[in-house]
Amino acid sequence: MLVRGSANAVARCPRNYAWFEVDAAPRIFEGEKTVPEILVVDDSKVMRDMIAACLRPDPSLAITQAASGLEAIERLSLKAYDALVLDLNMPDIGGLEVVEFVRGQDKLKTLPILIVTTRADDGSREKVLAAGASKYLTKPFTPDVILAELQGLLGS
Amino acid sequence: MNVDLQEFRGAFVAEAQEHLSGAQALLLAIEVAARAGRSAPRELRDLMRLLHTVKGLAAMVGVEPIVQLAHAMESTVRAAEQAGGVLEKAATDALVAGADAIAVRVRAVDGNRPPPAPPPDVLAALAGIEPPARVSRPELAIDPVLGAKLSASEKEQLRAGATGERRALRVDFAPSAERAASGITITSVRERIEKLGEIVKVVPINTPATAGTPGGLVFALLVLTTASVDELAEAAHVPPGTVTVFAEAPAAPPVPVREEELPEDSQAEDARTLRVDVRRVDDAIDLLGALVVTRSRLARAIERLERTGTDCRELRAVLTDNARQLRDLRAAILRVRMVPIASALDRLPFVVRGLRQATGKHVQLALDLGSAELDKTVGERLFPALVHLVRNAVDHGIETPAERVAAGKSPDGTIRITSSAFDRNVELRIADDGRGVDPASVAARAQAPMPTTDDELLELLCRAGLSTRAAIDTTSGRGMGMDIVRRTVERLGGELLLETAPGHGTTFVIRVPLTVAIVDAFTVLCRGEHFAVPVPVIEEIVELGRLVSPTHAGGPRLLARRGETVPVIDLGDALGLPPAAPAVQALLVRPARGEVIGYGVDRVLGQQEIVVRPLVDPLVASAAISGSTDLGDGRATVVLDLVGLAALAVERRRGRAA
Repeated sequence: MLVRGSANAVARCPRNYAWFEVDAAPRIFEGEKTVPEILVVDDSKVMRDMIAACLRPDPSLAITQAASGLEAIERLSLKAYDALVLDLNMPDIGGLEVVEFVRGQDKLKTLPILIVTTRADDGSREKVLAAGASKYLTKPFTPDVILAELQGLLGS
Repeated sequence: MNVDLQEFRGAFVAEAQEHLSGAQALLLAIEVAARAGRSAPRELRDLMRLLHTVKGLAAMVGVEPIVQLAHAMESTVRAAEQAGGVLEKAATDALVAGADAIAVRVRAVDGNRPPPAPPPDVLAALAGIEPPARVSRPELAIDPVLGAKLSASEKEQLRAGATGERRALRVDFAPSAERAASGITITSVRERIEKLGEIVKVVPINTPATAGTPGGLVFALLVLTTASVDELAEAAHVPPGTVTVFAEAPAAPPVPVREEELPEDSQAEDARTLRVDVRRVDDAIDLLGALVVTRSRLARAIERLERTGTDCRELRAVLTDNARQLRDLRAAILRVRMVPIASALDRLPFVVRGLRQATGKHVQLALDLGSAELDKTVGERLFPALVHLVRNAVDHGIETPAERVAAGKSPDGTIRITSSAFDRNVELRIADDGRGVDPASVAARAQAPMPTTDDELLELLCRAGLSTRAAIDTTSGRGMGMDIVRRTVERLGGELLLETAPGHGTTFVIRVPLTVAIVDAFTVLCRGEHFAVPVPVIEEIVELGRLVSPTHAGGPRLLARRGETVPVIDLGDALGLPPAAPAVQALLVRPARGEVIGYGVDRVLGQQEIVVRPLVDPLVASAAISGSTDLGDGRATVVLDLVGLAALAVERRRGRAA
């Protein structure tokens, strides 16, 4: 009954240690990076899982999830990622503020940011693109669209 | 590799339902605040976010009616939020209707039915809401860098929230890899601060990277709290110097806040309260279940030793101690799962509010639940049954205001729910002061003789399908019938009673055990298979000495028992097991009042405590099976629901007779 497998260990970890939760198997080492690491940020678990499922057909991508804008900013300040997939509407810190933070940091100036959000309101699309987001996808989208967009951002 | 997002429909339903109940609670809180003349900026923001999330999820799984409804609701909430946090009553009503409409469509998705188009009147009502006038307020004295990142409603929340002992403070937290490695992250700090007060906003601030801010990042948490600077600093793992006060109540607060209006979450009680994810408690119960299983194995090993003539008195004494300790441990863990009945029923006021609007009747809900507690699972399973009883009370029990005045009653009807705990049971009484149940009309509808007692009346009301046929209207017509209410209660090992007096009202009484996770069960052998049967449902175990042959071929054999004839069905036949020698013992159960049925088995092996694991797979679920258990031999054993099995048999017989 005690937890042995690592997958279980992640599921049973207290929320405070969500920091160590990495969904993808490939390990990334600082310096000799081989696998592009994608940070997927959405407060909805189902949405994060859906996006991860959309990206899974490309086995070269390692996917890490963050459940809030706060967690995303913290991770980005401490570790290098290759691209950010970001929801706009989240508690505490929305996607727009995450973009503003990212573009305010010298080391993150060129990080590709793919915004994934629902039906635009209030010119949120213009605002977030003006703040420095790379691409804007409106839900609903099909799995191949988001994968192609992300691969395009990684290639450029 | 093809990715099909339709696989996420089940997850969508679960998350959408969670958000909807959150939205309903927020709407109630907003309405309560509006009635007291207060703004509710935080609740509006939370509501907006929940609706937006539902909209996005629905779009991904292709449920357009929900997208439209959530979008219309979100726009209404956004307008109110931008105007400073006040929602007018018409807007609240429209939003409640919208949430109901979404709930209906989520249920449709859950049942694999096409969700209907959004009701035009709901969309029209939402579109017709005028945005409230923007309230102008004095500027907040705050660092302009921070001020620029705050919305109007967040500033309003900070301004209105700093009253009395509550101050607005800023806590700065700088993340680092070392802190993250020891579990101190913005997520954990946020959780700890939230226990001390209300977090209005967390603002990330870019700073030059230094030893103290290795990520070039500082989070400023803006908090409304009565806690001291030192307490906050400790919670955030930062030196007290990084906590600053930026808004305090003036000597005479402009709006006096009454004690009971203060949010509960900032009070001292939290220091002694620990919020725990239910799954962790479930894990503990699983582990306890494993201990119980190990203990039965130990007991059997000792029995085998004793049969060889070994002296096992010391082992026996240890085993007895062990049993007592397990019982104590079980009680201690189950106490953790207990929730106040009041919190298990906290959505009922919302249900009554909806019914008030749907029926136009004046109804008050009086909850007098005291401090009694019950197991969370029991509360969750019981809730739909309570909703049904309350709906019935409003629809059929409470009269219209005019009828009530004519009958010499107050125009406002009352539904009173009280609870009391005794022994290991909890009793809930759902009482209305309406017209009472008319036995004559129930008898007429059921085409049955006039009932002479409340028990007989309840029996008629619980005939499958009766209540739904009698009342196809906007509220009671859907959902469950009284028969399902009673079956829900009985499956929990409880009972449902009725007391009614024409002209004075109706009271339903529900008695259920406080917990259900571990029960005493008989283990029985039936055609070579082991089964477990919970003890409480068994009336008696009898030897099948003299069975009377059936009056017609193929019917069940009959047992004479204290002047009563009891049909005895071979359990193996009922379960469709291969035929074998006739049963020698029978378990007598009473499925619905008055009709005892016997189930024949090869042998009753013994009695022991079992941990029932419910079957969650709908493909396996059956009315006759309440779950599985491990009797100590490491194999899964089916726990039979003989009441459910008997109810099936009764239905089948009625079907044949009709």
